[in-house]
Amino acid sequence: MPESIPATLIIDTLKDTFREARAALAAEVAEPPKHSHLGWILSVPDTHQKTVLAALDKEEQIRVLTCATEDEATTIAAGLYIGGEPCVLMIQHAGLYASVNTLRGVAMDGQIPLFYMIGLLSREKDKAPRESRHSMVRYCEPLLDTFGVPHARLDGPDDVHLIPEYYRLSRARKGPAVVLVGLETI
Amino acid sequence: MAPDAKPHDVKPHDVKPMKPEEILHLINAQRGSAICVPTMTTAPAWRTIAPDDLSVTCVGFMGGASSLGLGLALARPDRRVLVLDGDGSLLMQLGSLATVAGAAPRNLVHFLFKNGVYHTSGSQGIPGGLTVDFVAMAKGAGYRMACAIHDLEDFKRRLPELLKAEGPVFVELYTGLAEQTPMTAGGGVPFPQQVTDLRAKLLKPRSRACEAAYA
Repeated sequence: MPESIPATLIIDTLKDTFREARAALAAEVAEPPKHSHLGWILSVPDTHQKTVLAALDKEEQIRVLTCATEDEATTIAAGLYIGGEPCVLMIQHAGLYASVNTLRGVAMDGQIPLFYMIGLLSREKDKAPRESRHSMVRYCEPLLDTFGVPHARLDGPDDVHLIPEYYRLSRARKGPAVVLVGLETI
Repeated sequence: MAPDAKPHDVKPHDVKPMKPEEILHLINAQRGSAICVPTMTTAPAWRTIAPDDLSVTCVGFMGGASSLGLGLALARPDRRVLVLDGDGSLLMQLGSLATVAGAAPRNLVHFLFKNGVYHTSGSQGIPGGLTVDFVAMAKGAGYRMACAIHDLEDFKRRLPELLKAEGPVFVELYTGLAEQTPMTAGGGVPFPQQVTDLRAKLLKPRSRACEAAYA
């Protein structure tokens, strides 16, 4: 049975992911950007991950930029990537549906590594997302499959290792990679 | 407005529109080490005028120039970022004005080439045509400075100040149609290659092997 994940665990994992990304870049380039923060969260607020967003408000090492749309978030992420900054997009499934053309044009055709955490708002605890009675939950994984976007699901605290793994995967494949947040964070 | 005039026939001022290419030449002469983000009808001329500069074209995701420029500006506060946007493009992601203003990048200058039409797709009028007041929208969103310029001499005179001003700065430029559009010009470096090239110029990979790995 899936479990909710504490916000602190996700934030600690994001910090480690950003540290690793900065170290990797510093080893490869002569002029990495120098900032006091570790990385960026680009968010179109997701009800499912609201405890993470609330905790991030108090974080000084991670900068959070709230975007008006997921199209913007995806494209801002591309600019950050070009400039050498690590970032994670935190959106919900409805935002994925709203921004598929930008996902295609920027991350896929543009070959830009982008890592998304997508909340499965309204996902039932006792059902696989593909069996959900809510279309916004049910179509998410098939849509990602249609676009060939690799994805995995965070179904409990033991799954947070998927965050750095899929972040690295986005870099390795030069495209999007997604972890789906199975239950509302706590 | 004449009773039978369409909204996009309305001109905000009875002046000859500026030529986009002349504006781009002036920007190129004064851009220094700025990163530039052209889109749509500014793109073909820009790649001829400034072929080797720090540019990345917003192509394949219309409306994204301001957001792409914002990401670059936040990543590289040590450099100016100049967005060379179009009115039809900006309308596609108008909320980006608020997102840019909210992020408040001091190094971002957002030029809007306002011609009132979707030139690339056949010059259909944009919603509201030339009556849309983007300066009011940018001011309302919270840009530190926003102005409209209708005359090339005025632009020439004010450009140095605009390029130094604390951003985000928004400049609406009343222009005619560009000589080329992405459809008529064709070609150009593919977007993924532009990304790789600009990233290499900004970050300077330590070796060829690294260049392949990090790109």
